[in-house]
Amino acid sequence: MFRKVLIANRGEIAVRIVRALGEMNIGSVAVFSDVDRAALHVRMADEAEHIGPAPSSESYLRIDRILEAAKKHGADAIHPGYGFLSENADFAAACEAAGFVFIGPTADSIRRLGSKTAARTLAKDASVPTVPGSEEPAKDLEAARRLARELVYPVLIKASHGGGGKGMRRVDEESELDAAIREASSEAERSFRNSEVYIEKLIDKPRHIEIQIAGDRHGNLVHLGERECSLQRRHQKIVEECPSPLITAHPEMREAMGQAALRIARAVGYSSLGTVEFLADVQGDFYFLEVNTRLQVEHPVTELVTGYDLVRLQLQIAAGEKLPFQQDDIRWRGSAMECRICAEDTENNFFPSPGKIVQLREPSGPGVRLDSGVYPGWNVPIDYDPLLAKLVVWDEDRDSTIRRMLRALNEYSITGVETNLAFFREIMDDPVFQKGWLHTGFVADFFARRKPKPEAAPELELAAALAAAAAHSKNGGAGSRNQNAEGSRWLTGGRGSLLR
Amino acid sequence: MMKWQISVDGHTVEIDPQELGSVKEVETGVYSVLLDGRSFEVRAIAAPPVLNVQAGGRRFAVEVRDPRNASRQSRAAVASGRQSVAAPMPGKVVRLLVREGDAVDVGQGLIVIEAMKMQNEMKASRAGRVAEVRVREGDTVAAGDKLVVLE
Repeated sequence: MFRKVLIANRGEIAVRIVRALGEMNIGSVAVFSDVDRAALHVRMADEAEHIGPAPSSESYLRIDRILEAAKKHGADAIHPGYGFLSENADFAAACEAAGFVFIGPTADSIRRLGSKTAARTLAKDASVPTVPGSEEPAKDLEAARRLARELVYPVLIKASHGGGGKGMRRVDEESELDAAIREASSEAERSFRNSEVYIEKLIDKPRHIEIQIAGDRHGNLVHLGERECSLQRRHQKIVEECPSPLITAHPEMREAMGQAALRIARAVGYSSLGTVEFLADVQGDFYFLEVNTRLQVEHPVTELVTGYDLVRLQLQIAAGEKLPFQQDDIRWRGSAMECRICAEDTENNFFPSPGKIVQLREPSGPGVRLDSGVYPGWNVPIDYDPLLAKLVVWDEDRDSTIRRMLRALNEYSITGVETNLAFFREIMDDPVFQKGWLHTGFVADFFARRKPKPEAAPELELAAALAAAAAHSKNGGAGSRNQNAEGSRWLTGGRGSLLR
Repeated sequence: MMKWQISVDGHTVEIDPQELGSVKEVETGVYSVLLDGRSFEVRAIAAPPVLNVQAGGRRFAVEVRDPRNASRQSRAAVASGRQSVAAPMPGKVVRLLVREGDAVDVGQGLIVIEAMKMQNEMKASRAGRVAEVRVREGDTVAAGDKLVVLE
């Protein structure tokens, strides 16, 4: 096993990996940019190294600086986390060339599965259904127009080398096609340094269901079941769960999708953790989307229902150990659900809300797990993803899990930055969500049918008034002193003088 | 003793300063309130001239009209005819879609702001003409900064 591992990441996932390393008696090395000097992952790791200024292109994406840090600290392996360099085949190769074990699949696997168009071809060859569309990047506008017409609108433009919804555009009619391709290409260029995009048919009311796989370096491959991630905003997941309500209704789908995922993995001799993403429709048909060749944000959902620690497993695999269990040993128990707690303004199109966390009360108690990367007083930087923490709960069945999630959300309080906590409380309370009628357009539909909140109870208003009066007395008048920048910023943001 | 008038999301709630005995600050800015045996936890952050208050999973904008201070009348919001587009959150200007003098339609994109790797296009809420563009591409802006003025 490794002696010391460098974590080429930040935030909650870096904290998650520090924890796994601690439990395995392996030293941890954090890296940080200028604005992350006081970040939680730096505080919690055994060692830490500064790698550059705030922009990720000058810090967390700098392969040379990360390798230098690993050398300086005597690490023997590098964990890339998710995002940043985690699906960069050149980084995986550079780690190995510099004598560090890359905790992930081989550079070759990343390359072969990283391009969505190449992965689609691979899936087809492995008899896995794919969404109708182009295998090749769109060459010119005329070809794109012809293809989109053949597929029949609506179609979807996607980045060939992308993920997380970046470089993706829905197109409902031909007049929008030109602009959508340009926008998607330039976003892809900025995000992935590759502007290639392709076109596919848009599946109506699809569900996003993915299969967790794990393979060792001795040819053993297993799947650990599904996660349904249909609740998304801006094409990014915000709620994930296992079992998928669709699979509860069609239990045979788990094995069918699991075997399809394994056929793709086998085709490239996959080792390490990975996730094979599918779209599924109401009938229970499913289509291959893409492979994420890394640890997934929502991995705790699978950990809670299977009982396995996936980060530990990933480290064991990278160290050359055999999978400690076989497919038949895997059991799924109860129901788990995750909410991604983000610094963002739900009421303003989920716009990010960086800033200082003033107060923080975290939930705990039975069946509650919180993977957080923040603390009170921490200044959430403007430069990175707005994810603050992942609230994950487990209970015996989906109904109980939803009630438990609501209870945990009610305990949870963050002030100083806008968060989506109140939005998740509404979702958990929503009858359509409770019935499990999910699809990737759920959030947009939810906003369309959302009713205004009922008036607050008079006692609650009185309590608010009394606390405000107490705060006012203490501050010697809120209107006079305490005229700090953050306060007035909140005010400007809340006053609606802005155009949306 | 004089009662306090407190505006909670526009509703006026009157309180007697003696009632403050039911309030205990349990952490900085966190108040436990007991009313007829019912327990409420309330968080209050000063955001002058109001307080940003969270209670019972809801958020309130609360204004305390202290009889000791004469309340300040807020200024007339925007001079009529001119309307400025402000940054909703801190971020970076990645693209300007209009220039001074341009005519714009309702819903037309004006400017693209990026924060935390996400882009947000600010749109015109009405038709008009661009009177002023106050930022340049690449500028970093704070929440509330005026970006574009329409007339």
